[in-house]
Amino acid sequence: MATEIHNLQELRHNASLATKVFIQRDYSEGTLCRFQSKFPSELDNRIERSLLEETVKTLNSYYVEAEKIGGQSYMEGCLACATAYFVFLCMETRYEKVLKKISGYIQEQNEKIYAPRGLLLTDPLERGMRVLEISVYEDRGSSSSSPSSSSMSSACSTAR
Amino acid sequence: MSTSGADSLKPSAFIPVCTAACLLFGSTSLFFVFTCPWLAVSISPAVPPCCAVIFLFVLANFTMATFMDAGVLPIANEDEDKEEDFRAPLYKNVDVKGVQVRMKWCGSCHFYRPPRCSHCSVCDHCVEDFDHHCPWVNNCIGRRNYRYFFMFLLSLTVHITAVLTFGLLYILNHREELWELHCTVTLVVVSISGLFLIPVLGLTGFHLYLVFRGRTTNEQVTGKFQGGVNPFSRGCCKNLEYLVCSPISPKYTGRSFKKTTVHVQPPFLRPEIDRQMPLKLKDNGIQSKDVSKKVGFITLSDTSQIKPPPPLPPKPDHGLLKSHLAALDSMLTLASEQQTNSRSQERSRGSPVAGIQPGHDTSQSQASLHTNTIAGSLPLSSLTLNSRSLTLKHNSHHGNKGSNPQPGIMSATNLFPNHNSLSYDNLMSSPDLHMLSQRGGATMSCHPHFMTLASDGSLVQRPPPPHAYSPVFMGVARQSPHISSRDVPPPSAAARYDNFSKTIMASIHERRDIEERDRMLRLHGRPQPLFGVEMGIYDIPSRRSLPPDNIRQTGSRGPTPPAYGSREFLMSTGILGYGIRSSPLSSSSTSSLTRGPRTSTSPLQTSSSSSLQTKGRTSSPLLGPADRQPQPLPTFTATLPRKPSLSSAPSYATYATTKRSSLSYGSEKDSPTAGTLK
Repeated sequence: MATEIHNLQELRHNASLATKVFIQRDYSEGTLCRFQSKFPSELDNRIERSLLEETVKTLNSYYVEAEKIGGQSYMEGCLACATAYFVFLCMETRYEKVLKKISGYIQEQNEKIYAPRGLLLTDPLERGMRVLEISVYEDRGSSSSSPSSSSMSSACSTAR
Repeated sequence: MSTSGADSLKPSAFIPVCTAACLLFGSTSLFFVFTCPWLAVSISPAVPPCCAVIFLFVLANFTMATFMDAGVLPIANEDEDKEEDFRAPLYKNVDVKGVQVRMKWCGSCHFYRPPRCSHCSVCDHCVEDFDHHCPWVNNCIGRRNYRYFFMFLLSLTVHITAVLTFGLLYILNHREELWELHCTVTLVVVSISGLFLIPVLGLTGFHLYLVFRGRTTNEQVTGKFQGGVNPFSRGCCKNLEYLVCSPISPKYTGRSFKKTTVHVQPPFLRPEIDRQMPLKLKDNGIQSKDVSKKVGFITLSDTSQIKPPPPLPPKPDHGLLKSHLAALDSMLTLASEQQTNSRSQERSRGSPVAGIQPGHDTSQSQASLHTNTIAGSLPLSSLTLNSRSLTLKHNSHHGNKGSNPQPGIMSATNLFPNHNSLSYDNLMSSPDLHMLSQRGGATMSCHPHFMTLASDGSLVQRPPPPHAYSPVFMGVARQSPHISSRDVPPPSAAARYDNFSKTIMASIHERRDIEERDRMLRLHGRPQPLFGVEMGIYDIPSRRSLPPDNIRQTGSRGPTPPAYGSREFLMSTGILGYGIRSSPLSSSSTSSLTRGPRTSTSPLQTSSSSSLQTKGRTSSPLLGPADRQPQPLPTFTATLPRKPSLSSAPSYATYATTKRSSLSYGSEKDSPTAGTLK
């Protein structure tokens, strides 16, 4: 294909997964879900510190909100008891709602900030809330073996 | 309930739970059928409904405890696993609210178990906040279902108590009809209830205790927090509140994750890297050009776009060093140029080399070889030499030691890098001591790749010093005593000093002082130089400002630290380190040593400066520079890079400031110097 030649010259690149960086949990305040805000050195030249720190900070705040013991959690508990926990079949808990918000936030961050930098965040939920996984992609360089000129899309990690 | 555990799916695993279920259902049903009608009539019609509610509660909690995921952690991916396998210590310590908690590596699940997490051998998975595996529900009890288990126990206790009480009431009222059906059944129910009340009550009380103490069964049984503080406890009431009212954490396994496609397509954005290499790379001519070319080419679509130039071999302080080298070179070049112009041919041959020489690290020396070769091929004459010196100035910085060899040596020079210094040696042997002083140091600095010059000018093949951090500094340093003894620091050089980074200045000054005192010691052999030595010549910037005036020969400069990276510097720090260890006087330094292995060497400044504060100049008074050749400490490498920036950060005039900075630095917590260097 003629486009192949053009591809080589147009510097069309494909991304390939190079490595994964893991941001571990911060257990300094107990078993509350919190991730370390220490910036991993592997990402030094991939993303600005402030961006990643902001992301982690926001995630931590989401988790704090999810695990907050307050009015809403009392209500949920009482309701659950009163209905012999049948309410769980019909209603979503607050935690689940916040998790959905987190998932949306991670998706948005990926699209806006991380994917343009060749990174992808994985929802910590998929890893049992133990680590925040950041997949690092490298530019594989234009490849003559890839006739397609379209960009390669990497699906968000769905491994379980 | 169980996910993949082999044991929990065995038929025998179901026996307890079936037994428990049968007993519960059966007894309660019998109670409701045979005993409750009389209770409703004789005592109160509200009794059966209440009992029914309680029983419903028991059932609900039993169901939740049996079927709810306890908080099973999914097995880690191989990617995560790879990260751990290399180091693979069995335990990882983590700090939880000030208490060190051990996280154990789970071989089955391939991650370090979070605090309070444990692996259930029956179910073969790790459970968050693992309590125990309950056979009566055939399920792990963990973070997500502990409250249901606890509620089950509570409600079961209440239920059993109620059944027992009302059954006894019935029997007591039907003593004469004891062998009738109703009575017999009630008797059986009462017996079963009475039989199970004792263990259930005991278990409930036990778990009530655990909840109040904030522990899990696992922790209680293993005695984890027996003697110490439980960091997971929030206090009695808060623990109860957490148990009952906290939101239920999500299930991790068996979850359907939305497949979202995010396009990851190069070119990738890169952050702007704040380069630590202020590239005054006029001396780095050839290489820098190549590098810049390369960088420029990779504009958008390559990952190494903003990466610093790769070609130079890795050295921890390379970038910083380069800037220093460049600065130093320019100074010395200018100085040597002046000398060149005013000197004879012989001398002028050496001068540009001297000017260029100092402080080229080994990588640059390689490049210098090429430039030397180029230079060497030019015909030698005084005029051409002068011009060549300019050329070399442009090209070299890379240990152009022998850049202007004598004719006889030229061929040799072209062949080996060593011959750069070979020609230098000839220059060194020139009678002009001043020149010698300038060149000698420079020769030394080309150390690892060049033959070096002994003090008498003869060529000496010297093995690379173990700590040749910065040849340039060594070279520069060595110039100092001679220059100072001459009392002729090149004015232009002096002027240049003002433009240099403080690190270089400090190094130069210190170096000069060291050499000076060394000479003093040798010449006079008095203890006073010892004392002067102790005064912080060696490496402590703070001490530099406190040298005794009678020791210092030159009044031109303030006290200087040893040249960064110079052998003397290293030796001095070693001396100081040893001295601190052996000195009984500096208790503060000793205390800094006990902090940890690294503190024994790095806060040499700290300890000595602190001791300076407390006791004056006592830290290392016991040491004479000529007396010891201390072994360099292994932690030097870790600590040394911090020193120059520390020395450079405060001005030497501010002794107190320096000391403060060195003290804070000595604590080794987020040293800004380390950050700078990195």
